[in-house]
Amino acid sequence: MDQAEVKSKLKAFFMSDLGVDGDVLQYDTELFGEEIGLDSVDSLEIISFVDSNFNVSMTGVGKEHFQSINTIAAYIEAHKA
Amino acid sequence: MTPDERRCVVTGLGVICAVGNNVEETWKSALNSVSGIHKTTSVDTNKCYADLAAEVKCDTLDEIDAPKEKDRVSKLCIKATKEALADAGLANFNDDQRVSVVIGSCVGGVLSIEQYHQHGRDVSEIAKMPIAAIASQVAETCEAGGIVTNVANACAAGTISIAVACDLIRAGKADVVIAGGADSFAAVPYSGFLSLHALDENGCSPFNRCNGITLGEGAGIVIVESYEHAQKRSAKQYCEILGSGVTSDANHITAPREDGVCLMEAISRAVKNSGIDKSDIGYVNAHGTGTGKNDNAEITAFKNFFGENNSNISVSSTKVLTGHCLGAAGAIEAVFSIKALTTDTVLPTFPYTKEQSAALKEKVGALDFVQNTARHKELKCVLSNNVAFGGTNAAIVFSKIPGEVAAQSAAGKKIAVTGLGIVSPLGNSKAAYLEAVKADKKPESPSVHSTIALEDYKELGVKMAFYRKLDNLGQLQTVSGMRALQDASFTVTDNNAKDIGIIVGTSEGGLGATYDFEELIAREGNSQGSAFKFPHTVYNAAGGYLSICSGIKGYGVTITTGPLSGLDSIGYSMNVIHDGQEKAMMATGTDENLPIITEFAQKLGVAANNVVAPYAENDGFVVGDGSVSIMLEEDSYAKSRGAKVYCYALGFGHGRKNVKFGKLAGSENALDKAIADALADAGITVSDIDAVCGFANGCKRIDDIEKGSLKRVFGEKLASMPLFEVKERTGEGRAGSAALAAAEAALLLSGELAGDKAYFVAANGSVASKKVDATGLKKILVISFAAGGSYSAVIFGK
Repeated sequence: MDQAEVKSKLKAFFMSDLGVDGDVLQYDTELFGEEIGLDSVDSLEIISFVDSNFNVSMTGVGKEHFQSINTIAAYIEAHKA
Repeated sequence: MTPDERRCVVTGLGVICAVGNNVEETWKSALNSVSGIHKTTSVDTNKCYADLAAEVKCDTLDEIDAPKEKDRVSKLCIKATKEALADAGLANFNDDQRVSVVIGSCVGGVLSIEQYHQHGRDVSEIAKMPIAAIASQVAETCEAGGIVTNVANACAAGTISIAVACDLIRAGKADVVIAGGADSFAAVPYSGFLSLHALDENGCSPFNRCNGITLGEGAGIVIVESYEHAQKRSAKQYCEILGSGVTSDANHITAPREDGVCLMEAISRAVKNSGIDKSDIGYVNAHGTGTGKNDNAEITAFKNFFGENNSNISVSSTKVLTGHCLGAAGAIEAVFSIKALTTDTVLPTFPYTKEQSAALKEKVGALDFVQNTARHKELKCVLSNNVAFGGTNAAIVFSKIPGEVAAQSAAGKKIAVTGLGIVSPLGNSKAAYLEAVKADKKPESPSVHSTIALEDYKELGVKMAFYRKLDNLGQLQTVSGMRALQDASFTVTDNNAKDIGIIVGTSEGGLGATYDFEELIAREGNSQGSAFKFPHTVYNAAGGYLSICSGIKGYGVTITTGPLSGLDSIGYSMNVIHDGQEKAMMATGTDENLPIITEFAQKLGVAANNVVAPYAENDGFVVGDGSVSIMLEEDSYAKSRGAKVYCYALGFGHGRKNVKFGKLAGSENALDKAIADALADAGITVSDIDAVCGFANGCKRIDDIEKGSLKRVFGEKLASMPLFEVKERTGEGRAGSAALAAAEAALLLSGELAGDKAYFVAANGSVASKKVDATGLKKILVISFAAGGSYSAVIFGK
């Protein structure tokens, strides 16, 4: 799976499972900022989604990797088996 | 001293939990520090990181009337009730209207939802699912004929139930209340807390490792009785119940506020409402779940309220014994608190090593966190507190002294209706409703539902960061509540946020979301629950979201009894204002129509095949939904801020004749009682009523009850009495429709609705309809019903 596909899958997940409006969600949009407002509950969902779809564990991973779709995708790329 | 007529005493106790099937066994385990936490035997733990639970081991739960008609949660509750009634020397009440039942629960009949979903979608499971079944089935068991309701504030429900019981007695609505809470252990809460990473794989360790909770199950029952009633029958009295405090965090749907300020406000209110000094409290039975967020917030609240150098306050959590029993927690802990008080014993949190004790000392200062072993301590008052999803905080005081309870301090004050928010299948505003009435709109199909649009959030200034989290029920409640605030021109500020509270009334609450969650974990496994979806399974999430969105930080309770919950929210809100607890209250009725709700109605044979109007003599009704929020304010408070007044809430009444939960037949006359009760409460007579906003929905069995009762109550006058039936336009929206009927009354009385189509029942029983002008209507009776034989009535007047 290439990076574009990973990002598109992540975006679809944010829209369908976390109720984020697709119009305002770009790949570099700050996820935990005021506009999208993700919180600790959402991060559990992200971890679970990444684990089961990309086989990459993000448990205990630093905040900086959750900043945007770009940073999550980069983490997946760097850690995929 | 609290005057005798406002004193509430405890005359009976009952409990069932992992460490005992009765009070004696449970108390013995508590004194000996025996934990009930073991490896679970009842849920699938495959791929799950934690597998502990505190389960009840009891093989006599089925030794009750018709066990097949009851979920495990009702069986647990009935078992504890029987013990408590026997302890109090009470038995069958023969539908005595002065005996009430108030039960708290978080997940209700969740095992029946699981059974239905996984084993053939059997219709017999449906009536066992809602929380509303519990109190009704308890009432049925002992024929309690008063107010029968359930508090659905998740993990604080047990404490709030006992608080509501005292409020009912002090308002003169009951002499005896069977109060408490019940919940059973099941895959849904297990998987949900797993998904939140909130379970401790080694068993909960409150105030110590703080690594998570361990789920338990059980029921606790306290017989609350008016002092005078208990004296008259020379009943044994354990202690007094003094004041309580309920507040909302307005912060997060699952996590408590770190600064614990709203929890502290609940504790502060409980002490203030008790008329005692905080130094009178010798022991606090804390919520102490074992999560870092909860335990640290509690420690902060205790330090700030009692002072960190205060060594007179002993604190412990009893959840190591019982696990976290959710809606039963507060009730079981009330039993521990009362036993502690009456035997001068403080219970410990355990186990602590020497090193852990030293670390605890660092955290809690001089506060006496009791560890490892129970010990003797002279006690005057005990405080028990609980917090819950939705941001609810609750605290209550049990006492050996009568205190100076500040109840009904504003009993003489008028209550104004100042704002309406209407969400229905017709649209999501009052304007849309008025337009639909004008156009004489009808449901477009036999199953209709409300749809919230992005436009609604935009108009209300609700941000995506907030609304993206809402489930359907939360959307309906948030929009109707925010609309009501807007309509009332009420701006929530730091100064008034604690002066206003919310009571949500709902028939099915989070039942649909719970079913959705059950579908997910049945498909994916218990290890794959959704942390995003789990909070929606608790019935009070919708009210919690409204509190977060609006900033309302006062009283916050969700009640669930059936459709009439949409009127009871008004009645209980009136009581909260009369008690002087809040200046303003948002009373709501909210229910949703997800596909599974229509499926239930179809299976039960109450869903019509075509669109039917009220009094159509059909076998079924149009399944609908809706959320209606009604702002109530103390008149002087409303006037001081220049609010417009629609009308006044004059009276609330209730009646019950016990029939099986899920049924109504045989309970008809109880509606007459509810109407008479409301008239008496308002200090008026039948001749003062100009119109009725009813509950007819087209299903003959239901409509005949309304028709029959109104005929008995109004006699010849009925032929000229307009009956406004809102379900004609929205279908049967349960609590949403009951609150809409009240909103219709307010709109007619204020003149905003110049008139509406009304039904008239002739002497021979035939029904005709015609348009009625609202001018001249001065007092309107609003009525509703609930399965199991309960009826409510509210009177609004100019």
